[in-house]
Amino acid sequence: MQPDGPRKVALIANCLLNQNAKVCQGAHYRGIVSPVVEALRRRGYRLQQLPCPELAFAGVRRWWAVYEQYDTPAYRDHCRRLAQAIAPQIEQYLRHGDEVILIGLDGSPSTGVRFTSSAPDWGGRPNRPQDDWHIVPRRGIWIEELEAELARRGLPPLPATGWALDMGRFDKAGSQRDLEEFLDSRDVAVGAHGEDAAAP
Amino acid sequence: MSQDARGWRIALVPDTLINAPAAASAASPDVLEVLEVNGYGVLQLPPPGEHRLLLAAIADQVAEYAHHGYAVVAIGVRGEEGDGLHWRRLAPLLRHRGAALPPRHIIRTDIDAAAETQRLSAFLADYDLPPEEQRRWRV
Repeated sequence: MQPDGPRKVALIANCLLNQNAKVCQGAHYRGIVSPVVEALRRRGYRLQQLPCPELAFAGVRRWWAVYEQYDTPAYRDHCRRLAQAIAPQIEQYLRHGDEVILIGLDGSPSTGVRFTSSAPDWGGRPNRPQDDWHIVPRRGIWIEELEAELARRGLPPLPATGWALDMGRFDKAGSQRDLEEFLDSRDVAVGAHGEDAAAP
Repeated sequence: MSQDARGWRIALVPDTLINAPAAASAASPDVLEVLEVNGYGVLQLPPPGEHRLLLAAIADQVAEYAHHGYAVVAIGVRGEEGDGLHWRRLAPLLRHRGAALPPRHIIRTDIDAAAETQRLSAFLADYDLPPEEQRRWRV
C-alpha cells in the first residue's frame, strides 16, 4: 500500500485501550483489551482511540449508571464538546478516502453501539440488586452525539459494532465471533465497493 | 460481575508509536505489546498538529487518574517533534489541573529494537506509585 493511499482506520472506545477508564468493578482486563486490538492490527487497521466521556464528566470513582441517568442536557453538551474535539481527525480520514469503522462497547450507557443499558427507575441511593437493568437495542449517548457531530459535518454514517463487555455477563467467545464477522463483512464490502471505502 | 482487573497504570503514547509505519515498526519496539504485557492502559496522543480541544480533554483524564491513585507515565519517541508528546501544550494543561508531569521514557529508533524493548519493559515494570498511595486508593 502507498503511504498516502487509503488506509483502514478503527475508531475504538477509550476503554478498549484502557480498562482503567471503566466504572469500578467493570474492568475485565488490566489495560488493553488485547483480543480487539489484535484482531484490528492483524487486519491492518490504524487505531484511533476515542475520548471517554464518563470519566471526564463523572470521574474515575463514579457510580454505575444507565442510559436514562446520563440522558441530561449537561452530559449531552459534554459529549458534543468531546465530539468536536475528535471530529476533525475523523473528518480528515474520511476526506482522505480512508475506510473508517467504529468499535464501541455494547451495553454501555455512553459507548453502546448495538445495545445500551436501560432502567428508567434507577436513581437515588445506589443500592440496586444485581442485574435489575435491561439491555435494549439502542446507541449509547456518546455514540449518538458523536454520530450527530459527524452528520453535521456532512460525513457519512460509519460502519459500527460493539465489543459486548457491558452486557451483564461478558461472553468473550461470542464477542470475538461478532467482531471477526463484522470485520470480515467490511473486507467484503470494501472489496465490492472499490473506492467507496467510507460507505456504511 | 467479576472482580475488577484494572492494572492502575496508564501510559500516554504518541499516535506514531501506536500506528507505526511498516518500515519503522521493524526498527522499534512493539509498544502496544510491551504495554499489554506490563498491564498498562493507553491514552493515545494525536499526531503532530493543532489539537487544542483534544489535548485539553486528555489532560482532564490524566488529572483525574493522577488524583485518584493511578500511575501515569509518558512514552515519547526521539526524532518526533516534542518526542510526539505535545509536551509544550500538554505540560501547562496538566499544571493548570494540579497534576504532576508524568515521568517520561523516550524511545530511540537508532539502536537495536530488542535492546530498546528491554529498556522500555524495565521502565514500565519498575514504575508505580509509592505503596502508601497504592493502599490509599486501590481497595
